[in-house]
Amino acid sequence: MVLSYFRRAYSSFAAHVFDIPPRFMVLLFLVLLSIVPLTGLGTYYLNIIVSANVLAIFAVSWDLLVGRTGQISLGHALFFGIGGYTSAFLFKFYGLPIWLTIPAAIATGGLISLLLGFPALRVKGPYLALITMAFPLIIQNLFDWPPLTAIFGGRYGIRPLPAFFPFLPVTQQIIAHYYLTLFLLLMSSVIIYKIANSKTGIVFVSILDDETASKACGINITKYKLLAFTISGLFGSLAGSLQAHLLKVANPPMFSLTWSFAPIIVTFLGGIGTIYGPIVGAYIYYILDRYVLTIFIPNLFELFGYTITGELEFTKLLIFALIVLILVIKWPRGVAKYTTDKLEDLEEARDLDERGPRIWKRYPKKDT
Amino acid sequence: MHLLEVANLGKRFGGLTAVNNVNFHIDEGEMVGIIGPNGAGKTTLFNLLSGFLKPDSGSVKFKGEDIIGLPPHKIVNKGLARTFQVVRPFHHLPVIANVMVALKSPRGARKIEWLKTMERKAADLLEDVGLSELMLEPAENVGHGDLKRLEIAKALATEPDLLLLDEPFGGLNPLEVDFLTKSIMRMHLDEPRRGVIIVEHKLYALMKLVKRVIVFHKGEKLTEGTPEEIANNKKVIEVYMGGPFKHA
Repeated sequence: MVLSYFRRAYSSFAAHVFDIPPRFMVLLFLVLLSIVPLTGLGTYYLNIIVSANVLAIFAVSWDLLVGRTGQISLGHALFFGIGGYTSAFLFKFYGLPIWLTIPAAIATGGLISLLLGFPALRVKGPYLALITMAFPLIIQNLFDWPPLTAIFGGRYGIRPLPAFFPFLPVTQQIIAHYYLTLFLLLMSSVIIYKIANSKTGIVFVSILDDETASKACGINITKYKLLAFTISGLFGSLAGSLQAHLLKVANPPMFSLTWSFAPIIVTFLGGIGTIYGPIVGAYIYYILDRYVLTIFIPNLFELFGYTITGELEFTKLLIFALIVLILVIKWPRGVAKYTTDKLEDLEEARDLDERGPRIWKRYPKKDT
Repeated sequence: MHLLEVANLGKRFGGLTAVNNVNFHIDEGEMVGIIGPNGAGKTTLFNLLSGFLKPDSGSVKFKGEDIIGLPPHKIVNKGLARTFQVVRPFHHLPVIANVMVALKSPRGARKIEWLKTMERKAADLLEDVGLSELMLEPAENVGHGDLKRLEIAKALATEPDLLLLDEPFGGLNPLEVDFLTKSIMRMHLDEPRRGVIIVEHKLYALMKLVKRVIVFHKGEKLTEGTPEEIANNKKVIEVYMGGPFKHA
């Protein structure tokens, strides 16, 4: 009885909310996100969102390459690390300011990814995945190598790097970081979204679906594959460079498997091939990792009189894996994709309703 | 000058000779059929012409230019398009985007304008083959008969001067065959200078369409002639139906 009441209330709410055009929804989210720091949220929480923004940029670049073009890369950490190290390098040896090192890092990342694109012309599918996975691991060991410590800084990396806004007090810096990363995320995702929905984007998907057929359509697939790699590398290294300056360090773990797999997990959470999916996924990932498992659950246990200190650290990964597993099983096409599919279904049903036959009975027509 | 001139074309796969010493030519505006039993080398011939395979010997001249050794996309851009025997749609894309992949992007026009012109062109092409209703449907939801027509729309979108159709009627029911025959006819009338080569097993549909038929057998050109000549040719009947019946 009560349940059905709620369901009906939700339905009518949904019917009204989903009338809002998507553009307006995006704007609404942007406004919401931009007032977050004004609510007096703690630095810890703001940092979560800053990290999520950086990961989102990184994952969006992965999604364009893999979700849209079908060139499977398990070694995206290469671009991340290259971005970070280029920034660090230019600062350490040439003393370049931050607003020059980041564009330089982006350019280097693009160049490296163009070079990495060449093996992709020869091998496909799982073989390409394995090859791309090898590159960052090799470079990680190279940068870790003791004889090269003078250049690459060895295990501890190159540090300290300059901060973005050294003239601001620390609390203000984090707010500034928040707006900076949000702005860059917005910029890069809009650019990638535009590319993905242009003629070039259509050609990318045609390569994902059937290379032979796109050749027969007169597509120079070599050119387009290299283009996809380059674009992906540009934004991947932007994320790496941001990360390096935010943490003020570029170290070998930037090339580790963790950073290769993070964009994959995030993209699958949000919905592969959607471009907006990875952004949603990145937020879910960091909120789960840094809030739910580090703060929320221990606090919950404390309510019942248990104190958890070390134990959760070990089980955290297990719980995290379980949650991700459930999310992926429940929504195999991703959380964001599921939502938009639902919205489209609703819209279609409403169209049918307006056209005539009452197929959709849940939302009766308004009396006019 | 012929539109397409094939001279002494040969291709071997290991010990198997798929295409052996083939000579023929196509003129502008000609519609030619190629028939032959399974394994006669018809599809290999198409792969050789469209650049997906490199021949071992011989030459292929298209509009007077040698096109051997060019990659497939360059051959397509020169004006030689093909379809595939097994349909190869882009599953993730809607039907209209499938066609848009193949459309050439016009140069010089403003960006928004050309996206619109491309959409209009793609919609026109789909209307020609009778797929307007399925325009926005993802290709993975479209049935086989419609995909066959989509293949032709995709090939037409590259604005070819010579169109190679590899079994366009394969797997279609008689009604669909009838419809497709009509749209191929219409397409031929719209662009009378375009040459068309059709490989087909459904002879009753093919013979209505073409003026000249080339018969392949074991990688070689057996004979060629008008549909009537071919239909009454003893050698062709022997190849298709097997040798004369022998008593034990």
